[in-house]
Amino acid sequence: MRRHEVVVVGAGLAGQRAALAAVDAGRDVAIVTKLHPLRSHSGAAQGGINAALGAEDSVDTHIYDTVKGSDYLGDQDAIEFFCREAGPTVIEMEHFGTIFSRGPDGALARRAFGGAGFPRTIYAADRTGLALLQGLWERLGTSRFTLYEEWDLTDLVVRDGRVHGVVAFDRKSGEFDEIAAKSVVLATGPFGRIYGRTTNAHSCTGDGVAVAYRAGAVLKDMEFVQFHPTALLETGILITEGARGEGGILKNASGERFMSRYAPRVLELASRDVVSRAIYTEVKEGRGFQGPYGGYVHLELMHLGKEKVESRLQEIVDFSRNFAGIDPVTQPIPVFPGQHYMMGGIGTDIRGATNVRGLFAAGEAACVSIHGANRLGGNSLLETLVFGKQAGLAAAAYAETAAAPEMRATDLDTSTAPLRAWSSRTDGEDPTALRTEMQEVMDRYVGIYRDEPTLLEGLKRLRAVKAKFARIRVVDQSKVYNVNLSDALETGHMLELAETIVVGAYARTESRGAHARTDYPKRDDARWMRHTLAQRTPDGPSLSYAPVAYTRWDPKERVY
Amino acid sequence: MAETVRAAFEVYRFDRAKDAAPRYDRFELDLAPHTPVLTALLKIRGEVDPTLTLRYSCRSAICGSCAMQVNSKSRLACQTPIGPELARHGRIVVEPMRNQPVLRDLVVDQAPFWQQYDRIQPHLILDSRHPMPEGKENPMTPEQVDRFKETPRCIACAACYSACPAVEADATFPGPMALAKLYRFVVDPRDTAHQDRLLAIQPGGLWTCLRCHLCTEACPKDVRPSERIRDLKEMAVRVQGATELGSRHAVGFKENLRDRGQLNEMKLVRQTAGLTGMVGEIGQGIRIFRKKPEILHRPRKIEGMDEVEKIYAALDDGKEAPP
Repeated sequence: MRRHEVVVVGAGLAGQRAALAAVDAGRDVAIVTKLHPLRSHSGAAQGGINAALGAEDSVDTHIYDTVKGSDYLGDQDAIEFFCREAGPTVIEMEHFGTIFSRGPDGALARRAFGGAGFPRTIYAADRTGLALLQGLWERLGTSRFTLYEEWDLTDLVVRDGRVHGVVAFDRKSGEFDEIAAKSVVLATGPFGRIYGRTTNAHSCTGDGVAVAYRAGAVLKDMEFVQFHPTALLETGILITEGARGEGGILKNASGERFMSRYAPRVLELASRDVVSRAIYTEVKEGRGFQGPYGGYVHLELMHLGKEKVESRLQEIVDFSRNFAGIDPVTQPIPVFPGQHYMMGGIGTDIRGATNVRGLFAAGEAACVSIHGANRLGGNSLLETLVFGKQAGLAAAAYAETAAAPEMRATDLDTSTAPLRAWSSRTDGEDPTALRTEMQEVMDRYVGIYRDEPTLLEGLKRLRAVKAKFARIRVVDQSKVYNVNLSDALETGHMLELAETIVVGAYARTESRGAHARTDYPKRDDARWMRHTLAQRTPDGPSLSYAPVAYTRWDPKERVY
Repeated sequence: MAETVRAAFEVYRFDRAKDAAPRYDRFELDLAPHTPVLTALLKIRGEVDPTLTLRYSCRSAICGSCAMQVNSKSRLACQTPIGPELARHGRIVVEPMRNQPVLRDLVVDQAPFWQQYDRIQPHLILDSRHPMPEGKENPMTPEQVDRFKETPRCIACAACYSACPAVEADATFPGPMALAKLYRFVVDPRDTAHQDRLLAIQPGGLWTCLRCHLCTEACPKDVRPSERIRDLKEMAVRVQGATELGSRHAVGFKENLRDRGQLNEMKLVRQTAGLTGMVGEIGQGIRIFRKKPEILHRPRKIEGMDEVEKIYAALDDGKEAPP
């Protein structure tokens, strides 16, 4: 058994920032991560990070835009805190060494993003996530902590409502071990791989969220799934909103700039849920293009000129050339929406605390909630850093006074028993095939538009996959880097979470932000301006609801 | 669906826990020519052999996980379509990266690579006499940002490390990625240890680079490590003068050409190794003398010396000088 004061699971921006805060607070910190920190999915974020640093802009406008973008489901007290921290957070990252793009005056450059009143998205070309990840890892590298690199999280040890540590295994040796901790921060990122068509990396499987859910943590607002308007057609690879922020436009098959019909004022820079639904509708109603990989529309950058496209959207140029055979300097990019971001996650307060003592969460794995029903572009990178730091500070403070964790001799055995069973079967279901089945169900039944019959059908099919999962077999018997076992573990995690999405979506009989019910097309503030809370029972998620915190901004109809 | 081709893969298989030697497994699949190697490998894993082991995550050339040897070139599997590989080689041989021990199949132990990265002190070195501006960003002009060249694009995939013959010959050599990263700090206006960094990297570091440019060829993000190593060498000489074997050789080479338009090899050996060092080269010198007695004569100025002078004048003007 290993022992630390604070264990952070996940080493993307939220996890690293939490670890840094806890180290700086004087705690003995370990990071457990299945990827080398620099390979974390935070690095895939392209467009930028929001902070109202411009003279014409204000924190209040950022707050208002975020509240409105959330379709009034974001907690306004949390959003106020979040937006106030934005400036200092970005400046701190610059001081840590992040290389941002600059304006002619040497100040941080800013670009326009969807749903924002002013250009307030600070960026590093179109690889802002990578730039921040490098800057933070460089800074964290000067601190003392223990890194469990390429370790898979298998379980969280919770007894008497309090966390005592985690169980994980080292991919390189195949050894399971307990890591006792006074407090644990889960920063394991998203679970977009529940869907087949997603911009998320293969590793985005919600391990921390699922493990917390099993251990009794409350999940919040799981039904709110963001579909990014512009994912590359065949592969679902992300084409940043920055492409539209720099002036990119969307056209349907008849060459019409169709956003004028959906968001006449801001066109392509409406918020993501609005643009995604517009593209989906264009294609569904026969105005899109059709090809071997389905319907799509065009994202045009040609009119921006070679120099601007190649300097500010360098990665996009490479992605398009390498993954779609398209040169965006001279050709339109074929795009269609793809799952991109999970607004839901482990329910936390503003300090990252969950309903389990000693358990904290931050980043996309968590739901504070600041994004409510729809996240604005540029707010997720900011969230990782602002709330990663808060969770790290809170976990450190908790660890300072908490009693020593009590791991029991049976913890390791109990936690690893299912995995051993998978590996000892001589016959059973193939976990990889079940993952694909789950993804097909979610793509087809729990997509951009939802209604009661499709959600019920989705739930039925999902539960059938889940039932089969009880009989999976892991073929690979090697101890060394057994990806087959990791895959199975991840698929189990995702199946738990997928169910909470469908159940939450079925129950919410209104349309709000990214949750669009064709059978309930209106937002219903009287009944539904509240958060969905899901807790695990043997029969599936049990739902309850909590009020939205609101301070200054009364709900209004959301028009762009 | 798009048109498909029959693709044959030969994949390196090895499990350090149980195999004495590697083997190659053959898989054949029908795939569209633009299918990336990674997608093909995942299809093999999903449909044929779930034990095929590889690292991967983003599938969009940004996480740096899936670097491997594809038909003997260091590539990101996610960014390498099968069509051109099949057209050139008729099959696709997939092997783990070089210069790092194999754990299993296509997964290598990257510890040596990360150790070299750590060695260059990959973080801003600050000086309390130059505090960061309170509550504000450090000003940095677009021109200063341009001086980083393409180094911020590095995704630490280690394709360059795998391709580097200097790493293969000398495991203490930092390798292209670490040196490109070093460059990134040496041109960073916020960093206060530019000179110390250059001095620290010289012994056994910088001058081991063979200038073969295989790293630049391998880099999937166009970071061009070999060009940044060249820049570091020039900066190092400017800071310290020619004090290392490698730098003395480079400077001697340059002076020889400026002087005569061709090499004076005797002189170059003396400039590089020093008089005492020449003693050690006597054996080699005699062997060369037997084949090429004119080595003892001082070479004449070549014809067209005026052109050489023009080149050097342009260089001295700083037109070609690195940042």
